[in-house]
Amino acid sequence: MSAAPDRGWPLWRRQVAVLARQEVGRSLISRRSLAPYLLIAMPVGIALIRALFMSESQRASVGHTTTELAQIFHFFILRFIVFFAVAQVFVRLVRGEILERSFHYHLLVPVRREVLAVGKYLGGLATAAAILGIGVTATVLLAYSPHGAAGLDHLLSRRGLTELGAYLAVTVLASAAYGALFLLAGLFFRNPMVPAVLFLGWEIATPFLPGLLKLLSVVHYLGSLEPVPVSQGPFALIAQPVPPLIAVLALLAIAAALVAVAARAMRRLEITYSTE
Amino acid sequence: MSAPTISVVDLSKFYGEVLGVNRVTVEIPPGLTGLVGPNGSGKSTLMHLLCGLLRPSRGSISVLGVPPDRPEELFRLLGYCTQYDSFPAGATAIGFLVHTLTLHGFDRAAAERRAHEVVERVGLADAARRRIAGYSKGMRQRIKLAQAICHEPRVLVLDEPLNGLDPMGRAEMIDLFKGLAREGRHVIVSSHILNELDLISDGVIMIHGGSVVAEGSIRAVRGEITTQPLQVLVRCDRPQTVAAHAFSLDHVVEARIVDGGAGLLLRTTDASRFFPDLGRIILSTGVEVETVTPADENVHAVYDYLIGDGGGVR
Repeated sequence: MSAAPDRGWPLWRRQVAVLARQEVGRSLISRRSLAPYLLIAMPVGIALIRALFMSESQRASVGHTTTELAQIFHFFILRFIVFFAVAQVFVRLVRGEILERSFHYHLLVPVRREVLAVGKYLGGLATAAAILGIGVTATVLLAYSPHGAAGLDHLLSRRGLTELGAYLAVTVLASAAYGALFLLAGLFFRNPMVPAVLFLGWEIATPFLPGLLKLLSVVHYLGSLEPVPVSQGPFALIAQPVPPLIAVLALLAIAAALVAVAARAMRRLEITYSTE
Repeated sequence: MSAPTISVVDLSKFYGEVLGVNRVTVEIPPGLTGLVGPNGSGKSTLMHLLCGLLRPSRGSISVLGVPPDRPEELFRLLGYCTQYDSFPAGATAIGFLVHTLTLHGFDRAAAERRAHEVVERVGLADAARRRIAGYSKGMRQRIKLAQAICHEPRVLVLDEPLNGLDPMGRAEMIDLFKGLAREGRHVIVSSHILNELDLISDGVIMIHGGSVVAEGSIRAVRGEITTQPLQVLVRCDRPQTVAAHAFSLDHVVEARIVDGGAGLLLRTTDASRFFPDLGRIILSTGVEVETVTPADENVHAVYDYLIGDGGGVR
């Protein structure tokens, strides 16, 4: 038998990289990513139509676009587009391959199941972040495009770049937290979209929940990181915003905890395709 | 110290209330072992359990000292060719093998070199860069084998590996298995093509209804089946003469001319007395004997006696 060159951490790191790279290679440009691309094309399309048909008076106000963009991002992109696009990417990581009856190949190699879970998760995260990041960037650029030089000045200003950076960071963190949740759902549920819709309901209800329950929601932390505050409506229960650093750490902790549970579930995973 | 083996102790697997395998205890030595049983008997379940794709409900497994719940160690020793005829979407043979080998720890260049060697070995070199989705059933079977052997495992578990192969392909693969077994590896093969298993197996495990009904060499297993008379085929120049004398023996229960008069099939209830008695008949009659061979010391007959309809050679 030939000895493999690495063992322990160096091998695990390499295996995580191989698994993540494979996932990105398979997902980024393939039919299986059609749904996330179509989803993120929606806000891009809306931003394009808005740019084409914006009235002259609105073209004069960059501030108006900043406010509108914040609302589009929060209520449409984050709540629905990112949520369902991430669901599409991460549910396929395990459940999709079980349905294709090809998941067992991941279990026939000398890879710890925990390494498999982390590699797949990071591959899904890179895929989701790339697809959604490009879409969010395009949406922001198109949103400011009708303003001509003033829009460009805003985008290239410290404030504009911070705004774009914050939207991208929120998108990536949302992908990280929701992705971990959907990876886990894919391990436990034959149809993970059922728990996904239930969780979406919880997320939508977050503004109306008391402060303590808001802490159990992902969107509560994401909202604290958005660059422009958005009104949650007259019936929302106002809570203290979470400091950005705490919000980031909380989101990363949620993601890490869910991936850890997924890794544990992966250890107990059995291949019984006939029952799927 | 004895050589490490594959050891299964009191192994059971239940799918809810459905029995997969029940209290299986076997020791599998190096060499080629045939896993025989009808559909649904538990062969694939046993193989899945050996490879950690299923977790036992009870009992334990050790593959050369490694339990199947440690895949990071197990799959350095073991390669598994499953019966599932599916592959990662869009994969080419080389891409599939390189990915597998990089997960084994090989760097890209070494993985590519080895992947090319393995596709050559399973006879797929010409189609190595084509997508597996466009392969014939036989080609897919070969690439599954390539995936199982690419890291040169000491233990090979092959679930119906001859399915879909044409006769030439089957012969090539059987040669490959025999070669691997000769190198001292454990090669466990399940197949419903009993004649081929008979040709290559050093031993068999017969499984029925989730339980092992026999294990060991074909001869030993046959020897333990005392309820079925032993069948012996005698090829000689005067089978009628031998038949006439054999009928006088109290342990011979049947003597039948077969092969258009070229052979005599004898059935005896006492193998220990039969062969000396047959020797005396041959000496006393001066019959010219070409061969004397047991006619039911094969997987097919043993399978029939233990699991099938008990027919043996007819």
